Amino acid sequence: MKLHMFIVRRLILLVPVIVGVTILTFTISHLIPADAAAAQCGDKCGIVVGYTDDGDPITAYEANRERLGMNEPLIIQFGLYVTHLYEGDWGESSTYHRPVADVVKDAAPITLEMAFLALFIAYPLGIILGIISAVRQDRMFDHISRFFAIAFVSLPIFWFAMVLQLVFATGTESSGICDPLFGTSGGCFPIYGRHDPSLTYPVDGFASFYPAGGTGFHLIDSWFVTDEKLATLPEGWSSNWLLFKDTLLHLALPCAALGIASSGSLLRYMRASLLEVLHEDYVRTARAKGLSEFKVVIVHACRNALVPIVTILGFSIGGAIGGAVLTETIFAFNGMGRVAVKSIQYLDFPVIMGVTLITAAIFLLSNLIVDILYAVIDPRVRLE
Amino acid sequence: MRGWDEGEEDRKENLKRLTEAISQSGSDIWRSWRIYRRSLLAVVGLMLVLSVVTVSIFADDIAVEHPYRNLQDTQWLWTIDNEPQRAHPFSEECDWHEQSIYVDTRSPFFSETVVAVSDNKVGDDNKYYRDTLSVIELLSLKDNKGYDLNISWITIDPNNSSILILSEELYNNSSITDKVWLTYEFDNEAMHLSWMPDGYDVCIFGTTHQGQDLFSKVLYGSRVSLKIGITVALLTVTIGTIVGSVAGYFGGRVDEVIMRICDVFFAIPGLILAMAFVTAMSAITSLTIPLWLGILIPILFLAVVSRTYLTSTIPQENQLSSQVMGSLVRNRNIFLGLLVFFFFVGLIPGVSWSELFGLSESREWRLSAAIGIILLLGLIGLADKRFIEKSSFDGAGERVSKSLDWTNPWKYLTLRTVAVFVAAFYLFEFSGSTDDEIVVIKTFDRLWKIQAALIFTGWPGYARLIRGQVLYVKEMTFVEAAKSVGAPPGRIMFRHILPNAWAPLLVAFTLDIGGTILSASGLSFIGLGAAPGTAEWGLLVSDSRQFFVFDPHLMLFPGLAIAVTTLGFNLLGDGIRDVLDPKNRR
Amino acid sequence: MTHDSKTDEILLDIKGLRKWFPIKSGMLTTVKSYVRAVDGVDLQVIRGETLGIVGESGCGKTTLGRVILGLIPMTEGSVHYDGEDIRMMTNRDLRRRLQIVFQDPGGSMNPRMSVRSIVGEPLTVNGIAEGAELTQRVADLLASVGLKRDHMNRFPHEFSGGQKQRIALARALSLDPEFILLDEPTSALDVSVQAQVLNLLEEIQSKRDLTFVFITHALNVVNHVCERVAVMYLGKIVEIANTKDLFSKPAHPYTHALMSAIPEPSLDKVARRRIVLSGDVPSPANPPPGCRFHTRCPIAEEGLCDVEEPKLESIGEGHSVACHFPLGPGMTLPILGDDQNPPEDDDMPNTVLL
Repeated sequence: MKLHMFIVRRLILLVPVIVGVTILTFTISHLIPADAAAAQCGDKCGIVVGYTDDGDPITAYEANRERLGMNEPLIIQFGLYVTHLYEGDWGESSTYHRPVADVVKDAAPITLEMAFLALFIAYPLGIILGIISAVRQDRMFDHISRFFAIAFVSLPIFWFAMVLQLVFATGTESSGICDPLFGTSGGCFPIYGRHDPSLTYPVDGFASFYPAGGTGFHLIDSWFVTDEKLATLPEGWSSNWLLFKDTLLHLALPCAALGIASSGSLLRYMRASLLEVLHEDYVRTARAKGLSEFKVVIVHACRNALVPIVTILGFSIGGAIGGAVLTETIFAFNGMGRVAVKSIQYLDFPVIMGVTLITAAIFLLSNLIVDILYAVIDPRVRLE
Repeated sequence: MRGWDEGEEDRKENLKRLTEAISQSGSDIWRSWRIYRRSLLAVVGLMLVLSVVTVSIFADDIAVEHPYRNLQDTQWLWTIDNEPQRAHPFSEECDWHEQSIYVDTRSPFFSETVVAVSDNKVGDDNKYYRDTLSVIELLSLKDNKGYDLNISWITIDPNNSSILILSEELYNNSSITDKVWLTYEFDNEAMHLSWMPDGYDVCIFGTTHQGQDLFSKVLYGSRVSLKIGITVALLTVTIGTIVGSVAGYFGGRVDEVIMRICDVFFAIPGLILAMAFVTAMSAITSLTIPLWLGILIPILFLAVVSRTYLTSTIPQENQLSSQVMGSLVRNRNIFLGLLVFFFFVGLIPGVSWSELFGLSESREWRLSAAIGIILLLGLIGLADKRFIEKSSFDGAGERVSKSLDWTNPWKYLTLRTVAVFVAAFYLFEFSGSTDDEIVVIKTFDRLWKIQAALIFTGWPGYARLIRGQVLYVKEMTFVEAAKSVGAPPGRIMFRHILPNAWAPLLVAFTLDIGGTILSASGLSFIGLGAAPGTAEWGLLVSDSRQFFVFDPHLMLFPGLAIAVTTLGFNLLGDGIRDVLDPKNRR
Repeated sequence: MTHDSKTDEILLDIKGLRKWFPIKSGMLTTVKSYVRAVDGVDLQVIRGETLGIVGESGCGKTTLGRVILGLIPMTEGSVHYDGEDIRMMTNRDLRRRLQIVFQDPGGSMNPRMSVRSIVGEPLTVNGIAEGAELTQRVADLLASVGLKRDHMNRFPHEFSGGQKQRIALARALSLDPEFILLDEPTSALDVSVQAQVLNLLEEIQSKRDLTFVFITHALNVVNHVCERVAVMYLGKIVEIANTKDLFSKPAHPYTHALMSAIPEPSLDKVARRRIVLSGDVPSPANPPPGCRFHTRCPIAEEGLCDVEEPKLESIGEGHSVACHFPLGPGMTLPILGDDQNPPEDDDMPNTVLL
């Protein structure tokens, strides 16, 4: 099968899944005992806003129901919902008082930035430890690293994040030296938030000096802040590097929490995959040729052992987004996870649907990309 | 019908086979254990799991607070006012009680009376009692603004150390407006951990922000977590196995549809989906199923059993008369069509299922109707277009009576018999119901909701796993061999395919208990899980968030409990994986 | 395995049997084309005989066997057993009268069931025996295939290949069938064990008056056990004859090539010529037009063989062949090319695997 045929095929297979996700979210959001019509008018629901042709009064609540199509049968409502989705109208959030699309658009890069950086930690950590573990199979290092692999998988991520905060973020910085606070021997990473309070305070948690229409990833955007904007910033923050450093430091702990938690399973995958490859004939041939053990493992074995690791990249992204729900809550990042939690607490179901749809889309898309990558690396899968 | 004496040989034979099977599985377990114990980590995992289970069983005996309380209302178990809040582990405060005592100086009724330690219980003599605490020493007395008062204004009743006597001076002191704060040391002998040496304070993990003993709370938390972990894992395994084996066995369209549904579930991060589902269920207070469904499920099950029973006992060449069977077969689609029709009619608003199916009739009517339906469905299922050609009753009766051999009770010791009895019991039970609904879970509380949500999000994983296994085993020759000797699909599934497909399932199940505990505590952490006040680990960590910088013990111990329990199950699962790995079998 | 009192009663009558497996394209599950595993087979099996079916792997002989037993539904044609259409027979009847022994003795037994359950399963599922009676019958069956009663409570992995095949045979015999299909029963076994199993088969056949269809790719085994042999090529039967006739005067070029591949202990190396067929077996999904063998046939004629499909026609008593140019006795095939030297006999395996 040609590569483009493969991609087209995979895209077509995505359609039923996307439709299914839409149906599922729609169903769940209609089971939620929240009245969107009532939520929108709040305590003004009883106010009469107009009259029917027969002269009966129409309250704000009734008008809302009519406007939101809630008097239609479910199937029509679903049709309307899908049409609106297609037109880019994802509804209005009752918590944020903004269009859902905007809420999601602001939140998604935050989560993605965190998830990507976490995988950036998890993958090297997992792969390197996995390689050492496989090479030193059944020795002390192997046993210890396998134990830690299982232990990392077993850690409750929210608790681990708090422990990281406790250890690395409870110190205070006085005159350039990190001072442990109140007897806890903590370091000086920022404890929560996405930016230093002195940066975000003037604009109420919304760092507007980042260029409009930027990527939303502040690690990237920080390099594109114009000099005029930089000049408006508080003392000590007026350079692109400092902004970048600030973002990075704030991301460090949440990403470490997420990354270490997911490195455990990667270690296990890598170890198993490499062990399998090490028993292959061509590795034995490489050894027989008199290559150094290092070269055998790194050049010959690892290249093939890494292929299956690539395939779980898609799932790792999904897992990291799921884990972000917890880390974002702890580290006060307004990413999709926190938005989801908040919207669920306030029964704001357009947002719940939007977040669910967008996370599903990200997951499916990343899996698609991984599959295509895989097909490029290993042409055999295209035949499947 | 055979007499009891004639069955002697068969009884012996079946008993022998039973004992053989037991000793066989015994030696299997022993061999597995020998492989298992090779791995230190696996043994550690088993130990961890066993100790968590032990702790949860004996929590009442180990916990220091309120051993007599009913565990059902854990919500209210811990609300004791004014105990030392956020006391650190082993700190001296732990065996102190701070107690506010209302002193109404304007009320003549309360003057001259004694005031007890607790505000929990009022006795007949208008005294306040607390059963378990007896006061040893009064430490300090403060007024509402925090100024020290004379401690001698309150004394301990020499006859009953649970009762404190307020003196005249206290009432007459003009600076006291309504209440005073008394700090006292209580006799912690009764509350002491029996296995701890004297001199230790009761709170080895410290106390929570509500002044409850954290150690006890963590202990009771193990019950909640284990309960959630095991229930969810069991139910997801069951659902996943059913769905997955249906998909794998039938293949084709069914498989395609089921797998696409699974894909949908995989596409949404589990935690977000579970959160949404918990919220969706927030209005449900008790889980009920409609009566017709409650009756229909045992009926369908019994019909399937009766069908397999009939096919396996009545030889097909001797089937019932061709006319009866023939008409049944020819009209099979009509029967099924009618069923489907009625099902959809029942869904129309305003049409009551009960009326439609005569469910308002008497129990006898319902029961006999149910049995009729069972037999009818069994016969329809049995009917096969091949034997329309054949007819005669010869030997059928004899075979039925032979297969119902009462002289050989051991042969009935099967899972199917148990299931039949359970189904029959529920059919009988529900047929007498006068309500339109059957209550499955009376109080569908938040714990149930997280369990439901985790089951809802968890089954596709198992379905996919078991489907793959079934597909793999289905292609093996012994399945074809079973077909070639005429084994029915049910037997092929349960005797041939599933027993050879369960190994990865067991591993996944064990690992999933740990995973479920993690997810459930995660849900509780973000406030969607256990109700506030419940002894749940995730909730304890969540509660500690405001204080954890200064009182890290609040978060460390419950978190460690989650980690250790999950680690135990994960190590156990890993060990089982090694045991089941064919490479390790010799 | 000779049979003295042979009546020419036809037990199994196969007419125009076709089994096409659909090839589905994944996306929209539309049927693209078919694998013609069995494509128009006519065959009669006489009661009491042993009929061999030989052919290369992938020629459809295993599928043919499965269809005869009703394990997979046929696409077209009919199979009559003792005058009855097997599609109209009840499942129970079919299973009790027709049984099968599979190629892989280990794989055909559920590893989690004891020998008692395996051998007794046909009796259990058909409601014939249970309890002590079942045990006794299983013991008898085991005895009849040369196993001990004690073996009953063991599990399949505790047995050797030959023993497993005996157990499989006992299972096939448990319903006391009249007909057993042997699907390469010896190809997974060592040569010494093969002989034992073959002798056992012969003994049981004469004792129980059984009819065997013996599917195999080992020609020397066919020569040893079968009275008649059908040769299959790409889903069709190309030649059918008495074993003696087939081996002495093969008429179809394909059979000829097969025969020449049998190693013979001969000092006269020069006289032996091996016909090595050129090319691969064409795909059954896309069989060549006309005679299916013409792509590899040394004597195929353009314009006839690749256009017109030859019919199975009788060329002698009980000898039919589907070829436009059947070879007479003593005729040989021309050798194509120069590289068709006879290989060293030392390298020849004693079972010819096609």
